[in-house]
Amino acid sequence: MKNSLLALLLVLSGPTLPARADTPRTEALRVVTTLPDLADLVREIGGARVDVQSLYKGKENTHALTAKPSHLVAMSKADLFVQVGLSLEASFVPGLMESARNARIQPGAPGFVNVSEGWEALEVPESLSRKAGDVHPQGNPHMNLDPRGGAFMAERILAGLVRVDPAGKEEYERRHAELAKKLAEARARWDALGQAWKGKKVVVYHQEYDYLAAYHGLEILGKVEPKPGIPPTPNHVAELIAAMKSGHADAILSAPWSNNETVERIAEASGVKVAELPNMCGGIPGTDTWIAMMDLLHQRVGEVLGGAPAR
Amino acid sequence: MRLSLSAAALCAAGAAPFAQGSPFQTPGMPSQAPPPQADAESGQSDRFSSSFNPAISFIADIVFDYLDPADSAADDGFDAELRGLELSANAWVDPKAWAYFVGAADEEELSIEEAAVHFTGLGGNHVVRAGRFFIDFGKQMQIHPHELRTLERPLVLRAYLGEEVKGDGAQWDCWTSVGEETVVRWSVGVFADLLPEEAAFPAVDQTGEEITPEVAERKDAGDLNYTARLTGFRDVGEHGVLQLGGSLRSIPDFTFVDDTNGLAADGLDSEVWGLDLTYGWTSDTGLERWTLGGELLAETGDSGVTVDDPDTTPGSGDETLSVLDDALFGWFAYGDYAWSRFDSAGLQLSMAELADGADTDASEVEAYYTHLFSEFHRLRLAVTSTDLDTGDEDLRVALQYTATVGAHGHGISF
Repeated sequence: MKNSLLALLLVLSGPTLPARADTPRTEALRVVTTLPDLADLVREIGGARVDVQSLYKGKENTHALTAKPSHLVAMSKADLFVQVGLSLEASFVPGLMESARNARIQPGAPGFVNVSEGWEALEVPESLSRKAGDVHPQGNPHMNLDPRGGAFMAERILAGLVRVDPAGKEEYERRHAELAKKLAEARARWDALGQAWKGKKVVVYHQEYDYLAAYHGLEILGKVEPKPGIPPTPNHVAELIAAMKSGHADAILSAPWSNNETVERIAEASGVKVAELPNMCGGIPGTDTWIAMMDLLHQRVGEVLGGAPAR
Repeated sequence: MRLSLSAAALCAAGAAPFAQGSPFQTPGMPSQAPPPQADAESGQSDRFSSSFNPAISFIADIVFDYLDPADSAADDGFDAELRGLELSANAWVDPKAWAYFVGAADEEELSIEEAAVHFTGLGGNHVVRAGRFFIDFGKQMQIHPHELRTLERPLVLRAYLGEEVKGDGAQWDCWTSVGEETVVRWSVGVFADLLPEEAAFPAVDQTGEEITPEVAERKDAGDLNYTARLTGFRDVGEHGVLQLGGSLRSIPDFTFVDDTNGLAADGLDSEVWGLDLTYGWTSDTGLERWTLGGELLAETGDSGVTVDDPDTTPGSGDETLSVLDDALFGWFAYGDYAWSRFDSAGLQLSMAELADGADTDASEVEAYYTHLFSEFHRLRLAVTSTDLDTGDEDLRVALQYTATVGAHGHGISF
């Protein structure tokens, strides 16, 4: 009985043999992404050659994902892992990586893609201290909400796909070129809309929309969080409301996860409209693709700041 | 003499002032060593290089409480205590192994809680851990007290296993997937000694002195102490995770030692079996969570001891030890609700049959509210009622403040 049990355990625990890189693929490349934004871009570039799973579903606070068994299984079987980086996913990716034991997707391996590599991040702290809240050592990680972010992320995804599946290079490059064209057209739409927003004053809940604001020349008058990741205190809320009144704030930008009672109270007290914006794909209906998500984001900002709807 | 000359030579050479040092050296003050040569100058990284420092953290766990004990002779009232100060360091020691150290100081002593290496070089999902570490039993024994959802570990765990159980030994663990949404993991550990350092309900002699369980320092292979755990967890819909697990802690050979009467009962064994079930639900935003869980425990083997003393005179020579070998049962169950990243509350119930020879049952109810100021410090209010069916009841109201300084990352907890 003991021997049978031991044999069963050994069979169950046997290491999975990785496929050789030069072997033609007979099945789709298994890709795991953190954000659904990345999953969309992988699908756009990979087409039928990829099978993509996103760990986030779309409505989450990007800093608070609860790792599930399916995440661990997906990571253990993935051929390619795509993350934003800049410590956005620091609360769960290192733990999953360690437990998944998949050598193909470890940092430095061909199957690891960090789409923020080379990105010039905003708000890089000069010194690291928790006094500044939940700071990210490499800077603001919400680069997926920069209108330039789609093209930047797509380039790194393309490179990753080619690395792990060189046989599909031609197809990946062709599909990437088509995507790049769509991204450029979309960016032109957003640029046109954003012309009317320059100098407008907004309040954000978290630092998610800082890239968007910087891109379109919006002034961030204040943040509902006194420091990143720190919940608002009554004093801070009172000061923020006073600053919004004296500074003539034009809008409050919140994400689905942060559009809460505090935001409602601030809006009521200050008389400023709230725009609930997507912070990643899938969180709001009609945002299944990155371009659609950014279109809706611009449309909703346009509704409170003025300008023509994006679509 | 040589040292004095060296110090004088350094002063004469006009050594550069140290960053945190005194701007000048006054007579009678200790002289400081010269700074290590910079890497850039030596062309080598020397043994004083800080480039490979481990991730270091300190954790302070402070409890301010009010106790109304059942025993009228016991002290009641308010107290404040630095319950623990933990220092931990983690670092990779080679491409396949990482090591960590956790030291803990309370008001009386400095102890090594854990010091172990995780070796991952066997391939697949195997891990071998060796050194001193907390046992893999259920879901609450692997973690340190400051990491608990509650102020203390559930009563039944304290009663059957101990406040905390760390062993010196080795453990092999592995996991595999079943389908796309289920993970099964198992572990087997072998240790020198898994007796608790502090028993919540220790056996006592007729004078109230503790009768201590002891394990021989050197033993046959068959008398080593063992743990085993098998657990499976899977996604339940979009929002839920369900986990079921079974655990065993086995001490095949130990001795009860009664110092007061000069008695010992040897050749004893103790096994604790656990069956745990946990369900977690997380909202779309990831900020609202429900967790419901519990564990059934059974202690078998020689669970307790009493002293028979016909003449009621300690040490008179007529005393004998009666070992209790009845199976004991207990359980705990809890429900937690977090309505934001920063606030959660819960209720935990626990019950255990005690090995005191009088068939006493103990139960405990703890209500708790936890507020995180940030990821790195939190405040908890806990109200605990511990009740023996003899009618004795302790009431404790506690404020617990826990702060982490430095890195304190955790892997995936099974």
